Amino acid sequence: MDIPRGYAGSVTVIDLTEQKAQIQPTDIFFREYGIDPRLWLGGDGVITKILWKDFPEPIDPLGPENEIIISTGPWTATAAPQAGRAMLGCIDTKTGGFGSGSFGWFFPSILKYSGVDVLIIRGKAQKPTYVFIDNGKVVFKDASHIWGKETGETVRMIRKELEEHYDGEIRVLSTSVAGEHLVKYSPPCSDGTSCPGRSGAGAVMGSKNLKAIAVRGTGEISLYDPSGLLESSSRAVKTFIEKEPMIKLWREQGATTSLGTAMDWPISGAMLVENRQEADFPHLKNVGCLNCPNPCYHWLQIKDGKYSGLRHLGGHMTFLTVCLRNLGIQDFSEWIYYERLMQELGLDPASFSMAYSWAVDCFERGILTLDDTDGITLKRGDSEIICEVARKIAYREGKLGNLLADGVAEASQKIGKGSEAIAPHVKGKEYIQRDVKIQALMWSLGALTSPRGGDWLRHHNVWELVFLPEKKDTYPKFIGKTCVEVYQESLKLLDMPDELKKNIFGDSQKMDMEWIRDTKGKALFSVWTENLVALFNSLVTCMFGSATMFLMVGFGPTTYSEILNKITGWNTTYEELMKVGDRVFNLQRLFNYRLKGWDYRNDTFGDKRAYEPAQIGIFKGKVVPWDEVLKEYYSIRGWSERGLPTKEKLRELQIEDLANGLEL
Amino acid sequence: MERKVLVFDPYLCSGCMYCMTACSTFNEGSTSLSKARLQIIRHEGHALTRIDQEDDLIFLFVACQQCEDAICSGVCPTSALKRDVATGAMVINRDKCVGCRMCLMNCPFGAISFNLRKKQVFKCELCSGDPQCVKFCQSQALKFIPVEEAPLGKRVWTAAKALKGLLEKGRSEKEGR
Repeated sequence: MDIPRGYAGSVTVIDLTEQKAQIQPTDIFFREYGIDPRLWLGGDGVITKILWKDFPEPIDPLGPENEIIISTGPWTATAAPQAGRAMLGCIDTKTGGFGSGSFGWFFPSILKYSGVDVLIIRGKAQKPTYVFIDNGKVVFKDASHIWGKETGETVRMIRKELEEHYDGEIRVLSTSVAGEHLVKYSPPCSDGTSCPGRSGAGAVMGSKNLKAIAVRGTGEISLYDPSGLLESSSRAVKTFIEKEPMIKLWREQGATTSLGTAMDWPISGAMLVENRQEADFPHLKNVGCLNCPNPCYHWLQIKDGKYSGLRHLGGHMTFLTVCLRNLGIQDFSEWIYYERLMQELGLDPASFSMAYSWAVDCFERGILTLDDTDGITLKRGDSEIICEVARKIAYREGKLGNLLADGVAEASQKIGKGSEAIAPHVKGKEYIQRDVKIQALMWSLGALTSPRGGDWLRHHNVWELVFLPEKKDTYPKFIGKTCVEVYQESLKLLDMPDELKKNIFGDSQKMDMEWIRDTKGKALFSVWTENLVALFNSLVTCMFGSATMFLMVGFGPTTYSEILNKITGWNTTYEELMKVGDRVFNLQRLFNYRLKGWDYRNDTFGDKRAYEPAQIGIFKGKVVPWDEVLKEYYSIRGWSERGLPTKEKLRELQIEDLANGLEL
Repeated sequence: MERKVLVFDPYLCSGCMYCMTACSTFNEGSTSLSKARLQIIRHEGHALTRIDQEDDLIFLFVACQQCEDAICSGVCPTSALKRDVATGAMVINRDKCVGCRMCLMNCPFGAISFNLRKKQVFKCELCSGDPQCVKFCQSQALKFIPVEEAPLGKRVWTAAKALKGLLEKGRSEKEGR
């Protein structure tokens, strides 16, 4: 297996139990794991293959046999746009199945500049340890004095201890107190900035006594066609900035653009927009990861009030939406403090907010009593109580802290009394909204079929949300256009074959609002989107630049293949790359089936409200026909009625040998 | 002849380092931060503090200023550093550079680096008049503009600030009377 240009060249496998590191050339490692780089690229593709080989049987996710796998891709750390990303994989602490998360800032690129394509960490250290990868060389360091420190201080202490010459020379991926206390939804955090969330990798690090991974890398990435790469990247970025309808807003306001616009939650959208306009948004500037043309981080500063002086790099969608919708926090300063606190403690804001919100529901229904909550009167909207509970969870303090640290699925099983019926999760993992029906159909379908359980980031198609008819006064007005204009413009630019567009949007391709309220074409669009997400998670590049994500017509497979070919010298096409996404997604499904036995029976919401008529939103007055949509989805995917890939499908994807011995 | 220079605004920079990756890719044929001829110096206070100890996040720019009276050229024993009259850049003649690093030691800005593999120094040479860093800067923090216009941005900003102060003072004095 030849490794082309664009890869760093080595794979580092660390055994914490033995305190040993093995550094292998990437081609030898890939051969051992049966990874053809052209079929799997990097990132999620490589992680899925490694998990497939290493975990034929279920394990305890918090036992020493779990692995931390950080995989960059051929895209990472090159001159391609948005090259600052990598994936971090493990066995998911909540579901026990496939787990991974995307993260950025500068750890991934510096890791690759240090010569590492893939980093695997196994075993368990006897005492708190951190690992330093210094231009490829691995050093084990004692972390006893850092254990118990929150994120920011951990980063500072490690960078100081390793005597970095300038800020950012050494990059640190660390776990915080929540990870140390094995809170099941604790993510690690890279330089206190970007977290590979949702799969509990912070708790996995905690279970391994691994406080942090530090890296210094000053190397270079060789390229097949450097000037061609610059030319293609420059053209892609230019087109993006000129044509993308959302980009102007985004560049002015960052990820919170989406608040009242693209992600206008039907339940409280209007209020968000007005708040957004009236609030003195304490925004200093936008900041981004490596090579990002549309940076999403806000550099924020609170000017007055309780948190006066607080500075924070963030301002991300998830935090604000969960803050408003699940926690009822209305105040911008409190929201920013909440986001910062989540990062410092190492808590997943989505899972925490769902756990808290569920606990409030239980409390109001009398299922949880003051005795269960250690005397705290749970309610929404009071940020002091919310932050207090967050700290209790992070340290697993008292009855409430311990109960909620395991997430809603386990907690509801533990306390029973009908709390299971209001526990919003899929396959044991919380999804982001309290009631899925008020969201759009594709978004919710993504939660059902995501390989890492109830999740929205493996789908995240915003087309229904952006063009909700009742939103015509919000989103387009910011850019001086009508809803119909934006829709038609986006449809034209969307990087998709005409035939497929026709099958999804119908023949006329005019602004047909009924499409949004209907189920037609949604399953097909979902499959395409999931394959695209699996593709850019394998390259690895960022969702914020990709088609149908926040920016609706960002980079598509055509751009990806053009740029990837300049990096590697391959001659990939649109179809070939979309097939990579399809392959990765299918193997993740197969992996979960082999490990957990998941099939169609598990593609259900834990929350019974999902199967009742909706009171508001797209499906107002209707029961969403989940079974019908799933059936259509399975058949488009080439899966059996059991929701499993068929032998033919696997043959088409060149992975039929992996199904040997499996009953499909 | 028109002389153009690189100017940088730290308040606009998003810290994405695309200028650096584009620079090394264009000039060295591979992507790296260490081989970039310009360096964005990061101050990442935000990542290093506890929630109650706040610090700033800001980026600075260091690259060859193409000094009119260039020290590097004066100390070079082989006269390898010469001005390109078309672009105004100080350019290294690779046939002449012996890798003695005298220029590196004497540059007041630390804008000259050493390439261990090639055993020669390297510095910003303005990409023959079409700096790639500027082309890839999406936040408009880096500009390549005529030297006469270099102070304009800051001057307008200062004037606007002063004007605002004057107007406010004038208004309050009027009201006071």
